[in-house]
Amino acid sequence: MMAKDIITRNNVTITGKGDRPIIFAHGFGCDQEMWRHVAPAFEEDYRVILFDYVGSGKSDLNDYDPVRYGQLDGYAQDVLEIAEALELRDAIFVGHSVSGMIGTLASISRSEYFGQLIMLGPSPCYVNDLPDYYGGFDRKDIEELLTMMEMNFTGWASYLAPIVMNNPERRELADELEQTFCSRDPGIARQFAEVTFYCDCREELNKVTVPSLILQCSEDSIAPIEVGEYLHSNLRNNTLKLMRAKGHYPHLSHPEETTQYIKQYLMHF
Amino acid sequence: MDDQLNYAPCGFITLSNTGMITDANQTLLNLLKYERGELLNRHIETVMNVANKIFFHTYFYPFIQLNGYVNEIYLTLKNKNDMEVPVLLNGVRKERDGDTYIDCVLIEMRKRIEYERDILSSKRKLEELNQAKDEAHETLKALNEELEKKQEELIKLNRSLEAQASTDGLTGVKNRRSFQESLEGSMSLFNRLQIPFSLLLIDIDYFKRINDTYGHPVGDEVLIKVAKIMQSQSRDIDIVARYGGEEFAIILPDANRDNAVLVAERYRMEIQQGDWGEYNITVSVGVATVSDADDEETIVSRADQSLYTSKSRGRNRVTHSDDRS
Repeated sequence: MMAKDIITRNNVTITGKGDRPIIFAHGFGCDQEMWRHVAPAFEEDYRVILFDYVGSGKSDLNDYDPVRYGQLDGYAQDVLEIAEALELRDAIFVGHSVSGMIGTLASISRSEYFGQLIMLGPSPCYVNDLPDYYGGFDRKDIEELLTMMEMNFTGWASYLAPIVMNNPERRELADELEQTFCSRDPGIARQFAEVTFYCDCREELNKVTVPSLILQCSEDSIAPIEVGEYLHSNLRNNTLKLMRAKGHYPHLSHPEETTQYIKQYLMHF
Repeated sequence: MDDQLNYAPCGFITLSNTGMITDANQTLLNLLKYERGELLNRHIETVMNVANKIFFHTYFYPFIQLNGYVNEIYLTLKNKNDMEVPVLLNGVRKERDGDTYIDCVLIEMRKRIEYERDILSSKRKLEELNQAKDEAHETLKALNEELEKKQEELIKLNRSLEAQASTDGLTGVKNRRSFQESLEGSMSLFNRLQIPFSLLLIDIDYFKRINDTYGHPVGDEVLIKVAKIMQSQSRDIDIVARYGGEEFAIILPDANRDNAVLVAERYRMEIQQGDWGEYNITVSVGVATVSDADDEETIVSRADQSLYTSKSRGRNRVTHSDDRS
């Protein structure tokens, strides 16, 4: 694939006056819009790169391959391909939620592309593996979530699909369906959920060489504090910051605190 | 909150931008069995189980942040007694007095959810059945393919057995049993449809002498070569067979007396002119053409007598039974 095709495929947008690249990667169920309160704060000093993973936001859905995106490595491949297309070296990678691990995997493949990894509410494994590991969720919670997603989109969408097909003049029905959620295709959303919540990257952590910052929110029900501490003790050369921000979206709820921690950390390099 | 909204036939709840409950109407409180004071300033997670929390954080929240609304979200809340309360929710993000709020209406969907679950479980069953059907179909297809393969092998094996059973091991032409069958077939065609045929009996001259002088291997070589020459001269419909020892028999379907004699002459010539090296190989031929009085034995017997005549008249010649006397 040509560089310009990658740029289109992943809806890459570049702003900023600086030279050093900083790439913001959205989490599950989101797109690059989620960085709207944080990214502008870096435009003065950095080259700011935003993108949507294939299957999310305004990416090209035709490029979605269920085999490739059947594991986090497929998403890491998106990051690497964008880095290659833009010839990035020593870039700062900021990843929210599952993107923390996606960036980690990408950095294991090509460490020279990345200078620092910054992770907001990351988790190497969401499912508990007791007594050694607490991820926050039992397998049955995840199963229930997937059923719920099915009730919410996959199911309804598939009931509605025949109606749409039989009513070509009711095109607006199909458009409405497409807009139902962040990811336009419910099948993609469900697979992304499965890949995310069943992932287990614990074995990969000791392969990471790039220094990292872990931003741990207080009272985050997706990535609890135990998970942040696990990462802190299993990643080489990392800094753990406990944020005042509550919830799982500090870049939305506490953009100033988020920005400040990132800038503070980058001052050390 | 006025009474109309407080007791409206739907739940109403307002959340802060971080998910804290700032207001709720009485209908919702009744539904969840909480007192107002127990829910205000608590996080919406308070009334959610684990799966719903994940769903809230990974779908509801980012979507409403990106788009300003959510529609027709199905959630299972839990009431104060930890009982499940399935609801359908619409939400909208609003700015008020410089702060951002999320206003939601919730409708309990008890009956509705049963239908949904029925449909979902029927769909699952259908998928399972479809898969089972596909698998059964695949198995059947594989079995069928195997059967066809075995059948083909069997047909091949039968053909080869048949060929073995009807072929003379040394020369590769038909054996005597097969000749007998063909003769019966030709006889019955003649009897039913008056299709004539002629029979040649061919004997290698002085074969015993060759065997005695040069040994059996050379004798076998001669038999093989004679058979080959006859085979190469014959038509597809002719039956060339080894009749016994150094004697061959040929059935010529649709051949009358004159044709049969011509063909017999050609065989005799070809063999005489064959490349035999230091040996001299010739054959004597007895010919008989079928007549109404014949059966399988009599025609063979007439051909045999003609052969005897060829031998006694000096060998390397053809005699038709009609010309014996």
